Amino acid sequence: MQAGDKLTFLLSLVPYLIERDRVSVTEVADHFGVAPQQIRDAVSLIAVSGVPGETTTYQSEDLFDIAWDDFLDNDQIVLTNQVAIDDSPRFSAREASALIAGLQYLSALPENADRSAIASLTSKLSLGASAVPSQVAVEGSETDATLALIRESVASGVQLRFDYLGSRGESESRSVDPLRVESVDADWYLRGWCHLREAVRTFRLDRMSNPVVTTLPISHHAADVTLPDTLFEPSADDLVVTIDVASAAEPLLADYIPDGAQRSEHDGRVRTTVRVSHYHGLKRLITSMPGVATVIEPAEARAAVAHWAAEGAARYR
Amino acid sequence: MVLVPPEIRIPVEERLFSLVLALLATENGLTKTEILSTVQGYRQAFNHSGENANLERKFERDKDDIRELGVPLETVQSPGDPGNNQNLRYRIPRGAYELPAEISFSAEETTLLNLAAMVWREGSLSAESRRAMLKLRSLGVAADEPVIGYAPRLRVRDAAFDPLNAALGRHERVRFAYLKPGEAESRVREVDPHALVQHQGRWHLYAAEVGTGVMKTYLLRRIVGKVQSTGATFDPPTGDPSADSLRELEEVWNGNSAIVEVEPGSDAATRLTKRRGTVVTDDGALELHYSDANIFADELAGFGPEVLVISPQTLRDAVRSRLETTAADHG
Repeated sequence: MQAGDKLTFLLSLVPYLIERDRVSVTEVADHFGVAPQQIRDAVSLIAVSGVPGETTTYQSEDLFDIAWDDFLDNDQIVLTNQVAIDDSPRFSAREASALIAGLQYLSALPENADRSAIASLTSKLSLGASAVPSQVAVEGSETDATLALIRESVASGVQLRFDYLGSRGESESRSVDPLRVESVDADWYLRGWCHLREAVRTFRLDRMSNPVVTTLPISHHAADVTLPDTLFEPSADDLVVTIDVASAAEPLLADYIPDGAQRSEHDGRVRTTVRVSHYHGLKRLITSMPGVATVIEPAEARAAVAHWAAEGAARYR
Repeated sequence: MVLVPPEIRIPVEERLFSLVLALLATENGLTKTEILSTVQGYRQAFNHSGENANLERKFERDKDDIRELGVPLETVQSPGDPGNNQNLRYRIPRGAYELPAEISFSAEETTLLNLAAMVWREGSLSAESRRAMLKLRSLGVAADEPVIGYAPRLRVRDAAFDPLNAALGRHERVRFAYLKPGEAESRVREVDPHALVQHQGRWHLYAAEVGTGVMKTYLLRRIVGKVQSTGATFDPPTGDPSADSLRELEEVWNGNSAIVEVEPGSDAATRLTKRRGTVVTDDGALELHYSDANIFADELAGFGPEVLVISPQTLRDAVRSRLETTAADHG
């Protein structure tokens, strides 16, 4: 933690403790989502802190104090003297604006169908900030109908069925136990247990058609399945492709560049490798970055891109 | 001979915490000398009989750091002696520091705010939302368990974002090189940033051009090189610039429309039909909206033979030439 984060933590912890007569270290750690030792360290510091006071020498009445026996022997926190602080701090202008923009982004969620909830939260955050929140905003969107169906099927514990177009171009009917909804910018994904593939799969919402909430019970619950943290999981079957990309556009390919990939830069272009599960995805990706990204090898990958682009160009002749 | 006590190492957070406590506790404010000579973390290094230049610099930095965190640290002029810096007093007014008592968040609202904070997992906004979450937890409300797990995420891949966001908060004029599509050389722009907005997955800067005052929209992706602060500041804009900016972008989006044919059952057909604002015309073609012809042409080119642009002609030509470029580059 940076000093600024540590200070914010101390200023947040004190009012929380003031509101509680007695609380265990583990309960506080769970609530703040930090390690118990971090709570103990913070409490130890708070307990010897205070204000210079009238004598300017930090006399005991000018310091916080805790019931030390409870703390040291039982891991319990009991604040016995408090100074200077009564209430939680305000949000900074930028903190408030980060949350407000985050809320705007989430406006597609069915939980947010009631727009007044977001408006009321936004106004609370503005009133609770120490200065006018800075102007960072994200375009709002309509409540997504598919997301609403996903939520409905989770709430009723039943499978969701939809037609799904794979990036190879085949359409199949899938029955899925929804596990988690993820998003990256404007793209939304469902991760779920696919009964057709009998494995966890990731589905793009905009590739789903005709979604239906079925009456079939799910077999896999979110609590029982450990989902990997990253949306795009590398697999041993991945194809490794060498590409050249304009330096400025390299971040656009960050999801595909594996950790520790070889990388050399020359004349504003970077040569590196990307991992893809098949060339169908690669040809679409590279063709959407014309003049910016070029496949170097293998020849088969180059040919897949060349063919895709040439076929597209041929439609204009 | 003077005995110098061994220097006692006081952690930074202890010094900052003690400073905040001392400034919250004072009604009338403390002078710099009072702070440096009495507050924990400074007093240990205070020289009662000489220069304290290093300590003063440390205090100046701490003051800035604390303000960056949203703590309203005030400077009060001495009424009898205005303009005398030695008599400036510092304090943190309780009312401006504490979250107003009438502001509370329900468990449901706390859940939503947790999700909103989760959106930012990279860049400076992730640090801001992490601190905001600490303050929210300070209120002691436990979040509801949502029906389905969400993992929302907004990318901030543009290197220009963090410096522009910092300049936005401080109302600082900035300078950057901007490359317009179709132009070979970038040109340096000097602007007052009024808002940063994300529209259709891309970040835009809404800023007043220095000299003309005309509001302009810049795509962060086209900013090349570093964003530099000019050191100048400007008066905070009135009104709601981010809403103005999103409205303008929306007007551009609505104003640009293209007709494309898509291969039935293809990825292009599924995804473009689902795109916001798409209308299926009587003969089965799609009428699509877009904000930036160059970016949209890139996107359409990615669909290869699944898409045929009918109109406008400029977009048709742009997609065609992109496909030809890619085919040639891979030939």
